[in-house]
Amino acid sequence: MLNIEILIAQIVNGLSLGSIYVLLVTGFNLLLLVAMIIHFSFPVIIVFSIYMSWIVMNLTGSLALGILAAVASAILVNMVSAPIFQHIMRKRGSVDINATMVISMGMGMLITEWTSHAINNGFPISFETEAVDPHGWLRATRAPFIRAGLVSISYSQVLTLLTGIILVAALFWVLYKTKAGRAFRAIAENPDGARLVGIPLLKTGVQSYILTGILGGLTAALMALLLGQASPDLGDQLGHKVLGISIIAGLGNLGGGLVIALLLGIVEAIVQGVFSGGSWSNTVAFLLMLVIVLAKPRGVFGIKL
Amino acid sequence: MSATLSNYLTITAIFILCTWAIYLPYRMGQLHFMMIANMVISAYLGALFSGAVVSGSQVQEAINLNLHWPFILTLILGVVVSGLLGYLISLAIGDAPCFAVVIVGFAFMYLTKAIAENTTALGRTFGMFRVPRIVEGLSNSQNRLFLVCVCFFFVLLVGFWIYRFDKSKLGRAASSVFVDRDLAVSLGINVKKMGSLLQTASSALGGLAGVLYLYTLRAISPSFITFHNVGLFMTMLFVGGYTTQWGPLLAVPILWGIPLIMPESLQVWKNVFYAVILIGILMLKPEGVITRPLLRRLNNLVFKRRLKPAGSGKNLS
Amino acid sequence: MEQKDDIILQVRDLSVSYGHIKALREVNLEVRKGEIVVLVGSNGAGKTSIMETILGVNTPDAGQVTFEGRDITKNPVDKNVRGGMTLVPEGRGVFATMSVLDNLLLGAHHELKTAGKKLNFVFESFPVLGVRKNQLAGTLSGGERQMLAIARALMSTPRMIMVDEPSIGLAPIVVNSIFDILVNLNKEGYSILLSEQNVYKALKCAHRGYVLETGRVIKEGRAEDLLNDPAIREAYLGA
Repeated sequence: MLNIEILIAQIVNGLSLGSIYVLLVTGFNLLLLVAMIIHFSFPVIIVFSIYMSWIVMNLTGSLALGILAAVASAILVNMVSAPIFQHIMRKRGSVDINATMVISMGMGMLITEWTSHAINNGFPISFETEAVDPHGWLRATRAPFIRAGLVSISYSQVLTLLTGIILVAALFWVLYKTKAGRAFRAIAENPDGARLVGIPLLKTGVQSYILTGILGGLTAALMALLLGQASPDLGDQLGHKVLGISIIAGLGNLGGGLVIALLLGIVEAIVQGVFSGGSWSNTVAFLLMLVIVLAKPRGVFGIKL
Repeated sequence: MSATLSNYLTITAIFILCTWAIYLPYRMGQLHFMMIANMVISAYLGALFSGAVVSGSQVQEAINLNLHWPFILTLILGVVVSGLLGYLISLAIGDAPCFAVVIVGFAFMYLTKAIAENTTALGRTFGMFRVPRIVEGLSNSQNRLFLVCVCFFFVLLVGFWIYRFDKSKLGRAASSVFVDRDLAVSLGINVKKMGSLLQTASSALGGLAGVLYLYTLRAISPSFITFHNVGLFMTMLFVGGYTTQWGPLLAVPILWGIPLIMPESLQVWKNVFYAVILIGILMLKPEGVITRPLLRRLNNLVFKRRLKPAGSGKNLS
Repeated sequence: MEQKDDIILQVRDLSVSYGHIKALREVNLEVRKGEIVVLVGSNGAGKTSIMETILGVNTPDAGQVTFEGRDITKNPVDKNVRGGMTLVPEGRGVFATMSVLDNLLLGAHHELKTAGKKLNFVFESFPVLGVRKNQLAGTLSGGERQMLAIARALMSTPRMIMVDEPSIGLAPIVVNSIFDILVNLNKEGYSILLSEQNVYKALKCAHRGYVLETGRVIKEGRAEDLLNDPAIREAYLGA
């Protein structure tokens, strides 16, 4: 039974999930456009950051330190992986994007394996325990913000959606209104031309790693808020989805990525509402991706590389 | 032959086939992971048609096909169905960019897994087991030996076929697509047809490996479809070298063998070991251990020795 | 001594190769303050290679580049742009998906604080760019794009501007106005190194010229002398 109230609730739900997809896809596309890498495992780094923040919160019980840990670890992993990508690009003379994806997959394997053996014995971690969240703040966000009959929207969903919107707006502001953003777009359109104009490629590349690191860390904090838990294989699943969204929208297409990411979030939420089962929403998501990719291998909005 | 050794040999042979299945489309720059889904599809088909059963609690709901197809028939079925599936998909993504092909592979993996996990007739998450032996009537050890022979027969057969392909006009065309797709198109190479051919072959190969795998484990479950397998086959391909068919022949026995002789406590870290090797090899030797220049040098070494008598004979006359 | 102060750019024995291909062989040239110097030669003679090497895109095998008395041979491009030289690339090289304003600001990437003043100056010199500043650069006409590329170069407050093949693909009447712009800029004090296949027009407005063939300088001199040189007239002017 799908009446209008449930539908609206699911759309809000989907938008909050979608805003996380938007953040992930935009980070992925930025790295693709500016640093010229297919960072397939970008979401895995974010799941890693969630784990780091969980560890810190487990030890200190401090929410602020947890968020800080998420951002710091995302930047750190990004900065550590940067020289590896730079290295393979130099070795091959020109940029071989396939090789960057394989390297990224290797990094993803490494991180996923590590989290699934070394942390919490490989069991999913929860942010809703006494140790992690001694003040009960996170648990408090589970309370309904609005409730109308069967329908309820929790504070965590509203918070995620609002923060997500602010983050996406901030990101696009950086891209379109700042000096660094202008340099990003110039490199994205024509790296050689940008170099001739006098834009420092290395410095701008490093800036893009830092920006996506900050973005990734904040996304990790949001995901912890929205999902309340994480498991080692979450990263791979998100990795596939992000790559899927990016391909469906057209690789490197920032605006297209935003639209498709929000749509996917809504579709997943609605499917979840109809079938009330977790595994089917993923199945429908991948079925949709499959159909669209088969029909339009170059994306709905076109590749912008 | 001991069970451990025969198991090692069979799995090695199967993984060589799997790695070749990834190697073929990558000849023209496509990473086609659909073969992993195909492997599982054909394994399930094989299980259904050979008379395997699902676990006890689900047996009432399960459809009993009551079929007892022999090994060779299930093998053909698996290869044909997988190849057909691969061909149909390749009609849409034969000339697609690498990443579109990647995501199709992943989507297929997820879908296959979701269907297998939610279908009672396929045993849900427990999968199907009690697959009959390859040859009923033979003892366990004789069967194992037979399986090893069958697997390596297919390695030889497929290896020979890939060798012929690589040496042919088509193989050269595939390489040219890998290097520069636009140039290849302007030279009159039909990229779509090429992709279609290689993707179909890859899928059929996946189907072949799937049925062999089924008869080795004598069971199949959805848990085989994991991202680790993608990582595993890719590591084997890239470490061995993706520019020639010989890379997997070198890398698979070694990479599959090392974790087996590692101490028990380190076994759980074997995927970390693969990941580190994968990253390391891409940084140090981006084309893998066995490259074309290396082969040429080896070839020259062997060739010189053979040419010498002929050359000296020429001098005399 | 006095003459040396006069020289803004000095290139000595510059050799560059791409893999096995020798692009430049022991090129010597100089640009004095307030001069328009033109590089003349056919396709593949090495005009673009010279400019890109001076700017720091290519690493030379041998030789030295001095700009305003400083050795800049090994400097990266962005340092040279900050140092006061700039290149207007062949085929305009504007960023088509970005606005005219963004393109201009990219030119002033290293010193955005003073960009406002320079924007005013550029919009005064090229009113059409002021009108279209919020338009995407891809929607401009060929001549307007060339203007934008030159204006973008001015945004970096250069003392020497290198202009690579400005007339390529433009209608003759537009070419004339582009050359007028360059001559005016020169009168305002910018030194200009120009490469051109339109030999007659280029030599007409330049002070001196270098003739290049397969990566070598085969002739140099005052523009009028080159214009009257029978060999050059035959090879490049078809007369």
